[in-house]
Amino acid sequence: MEPLEELLKRLVAEMPDPDKRGMYCTDIDAAKIEKAVAEMHKHGRAAIVGLIDMLVEPLQGDDVRPVKAKYALHCLALAVCNLADDKPRHEFSLTLASQLGGNRPKAVQAYLIQELQTAGGKEVAETLGTLLADDVLCEPAARALVAIGDGAVQQLHRALGKAAGKRRLTIIQNLGVLRDATSVAALREAVGDPDADIRLAAGWALANIGDQGAVDLLLRAAKTAKGWERIQMTKACLLLAEKLQAPAKQSATARV
Amino acid sequence: MSNDGRRKVSRRRFLTETAGAAAALAIVPRSVLGGEGHVSPSETFGGALIGCGGRGGGTFGGLGPNVRRLASCDVKFLGRVDNKETYSDFRRVLERKDIDVVAIATPPHWHPLITIAAMEAGKDVLCEKPLTRFIAEGRAVVEAERRYNRIFQVGTYGRFRDSHNPAKVLTHKIMASGLLKKCQGVHIKKGGLKVRQWSGIVNAKPQPVPKNLDWDMYCGPSPLRPYHPHRTGGTHRGYWDYEGGGMADMGQHHFDPVQWTWAKDDTSAVEIEAHAPPAHPECCAMWGWVELKYADGLTFVMESTEWGKPYDRKQPREISLNDLSEEDQKKVLAMPDPEPLVDFPTAIRTRQRPGGHAEAAHRSAAILHLANIAIRVGRKIRYDPVKEQIIGDDEANRLVNQPMRAPWHL
Repeated sequence: MEPLEELLKRLVAEMPDPDKRGMYCTDIDAAKIEKAVAEMHKHGRAAIVGLIDMLVEPLQGDDVRPVKAKYALHCLALAVCNLADDKPRHEFSLTLASQLGGNRPKAVQAYLIQELQTAGGKEVAETLGTLLADDVLCEPAARALVAIGDGAVQQLHRALGKAAGKRRLTIIQNLGVLRDATSVAALREAVGDPDADIRLAAGWALANIGDQGAVDLLLRAAKTAKGWERIQMTKACLLLAEKLQAPAKQSATARV
Repeated sequence: MSNDGRRKVSRRRFLTETAGAAAALAIVPRSVLGGEGHVSPSETFGGALIGCGGRGGGTFGGLGPNVRRLASCDVKFLGRVDNKETYSDFRRVLERKDIDVVAIATPPHWHPLITIAAMEAGKDVLCEKPLTRFIAEGRAVVEAERRYNRIFQVGTYGRFRDSHNPAKVLTHKIMASGLLKKCQGVHIKKGGLKVRQWSGIVNAKPQPVPKNLDWDMYCGPSPLRPYHPHRTGGTHRGYWDYEGGGMADMGQHHFDPVQWTWAKDDTSAVEIEAHAPPAHPECCAMWGWVELKYADGLTFVMESTEWGKPYDRKQPREISLNDLSEEDQKKVLAMPDPEPLVDFPTAIRTRQRPGGHAEAAHRSAAILHLANIAIRVGRKIRYDPVKEQIIGDDEANRLVNQPMRAPWHL
């Protein structure tokens, strides 16, 4: 029986070669790709980890195997999503997550997170949540969490207290995207932050959540801000007014 | 000031403020006073161009002769920014109160965000096609157009031509009448979609960022990738981060007028199926054909002719009055022709909605996005044109509304 490592090398070699321009535009044989990916899939977790072992980032030299392994891993992600049974997708997702947080290059981990954005589910929310503490991986992890949706709010909410700088900005914005009402106290505080990006993200997040308690805060912020910040805080006020149109909140709408 | 709050200098105010009417008549050139072929100051607008590469000049020209260029902005202007005429940050441009109209010719991943921000700042907008990079962005542009009551036009003009074509006007009237319950129309766009031309480099090695380029700002709402020149300057079209290959580049040109002809400006396809090899996660690449079916049976097809087997499910088919009962034919013939589409230069003067308004532009961009989603997920998708969501497919929906990199959001 062919050892898995050799088998994987052979199957990865079945992926298309980049053409002269470095593109996947010539001799793209879909049936050949799909057959090789199906063969990889039969070998489950070991094959997935084997593919991940072939990834190197950033690319160096002329070795095309990492390029092909990267594509093969994505084909596998697409293949498991196309199955009626959710179990293979679930296992694929957990396998990718198991390779995060360790010593693999950050760029490789970022790629795995990107694949989780395609094929991951709530089963990997906690792993992605731990990466919100990583300066490099926070942003792709937040993107994947928001795309997955299920379980994302808890992770972002938990990470907010310890986050600083760009990570804090990313988390605040995404709490706004997910309309997390449990974060409004921290978001109201962030409207007074010295960093303008944080202030704007928090103001917009409160508006998108429809936080009735933020009416005066946002009106004051819009009145005192200048230039771009004034435009954006005014937008936040309008957005808040729209969100407050819900019958229970209409008296606050009139104030805005 | 006009009653919609725009900053426009009225002819009367201009004359009074120019040291009296008599003096003005003596010193003000004829062009200011108007007359045939001349533009009066009451019709002159301050304009800005954001995104000054390839299409920039042409896009600005679409604003019409009455717009004076006051500012140019591009992320590759680092080192020569004066924040008076030359900018690298569009936010500084939008803060200016003397700019009424903005032309946007950046790569598409910036189109909706700058469009929305400009409308928030009270500007009218002409934005290059494709309007968006994904579907939810289009809905946000439509909402901003409504909320801020601004003029918006997408930079593709085929519908203006087709709306004067008698055969297409008739098709439009038959479809708009609602009398054709089961539509057998099939429109096939064969070739011309630049699939190979606008593909991405899958083995690109990172390179140093040029000193004049604000790479972080270039990437904007998209992931911050290592720099490679192929990701900029027109070839950006080959990357999902910024556009959607030849489908997105050429598709809106073709399908925007087709959508008008078939009276589908307010809806989208409900079933989409693609013939393509597995997509690359970052680079646009080959596909064969995509079939999009509307709820009434109308079918649109894009066939690349650049990969795989030809599309052979259906033949092109027009519709005609013969598809209707005699009674319904009379009703259609009694219908007035649609109102002429208003162009952007007229729209900013008259405040009428232009022909390529946000909803129409959003729906025609959605045709391309749905096609690309079917290519990218590799399965047939079913779409709800009202909720604007893919039905029963969480993973595919992740491409309908994609997360953005902070501080950028819809």
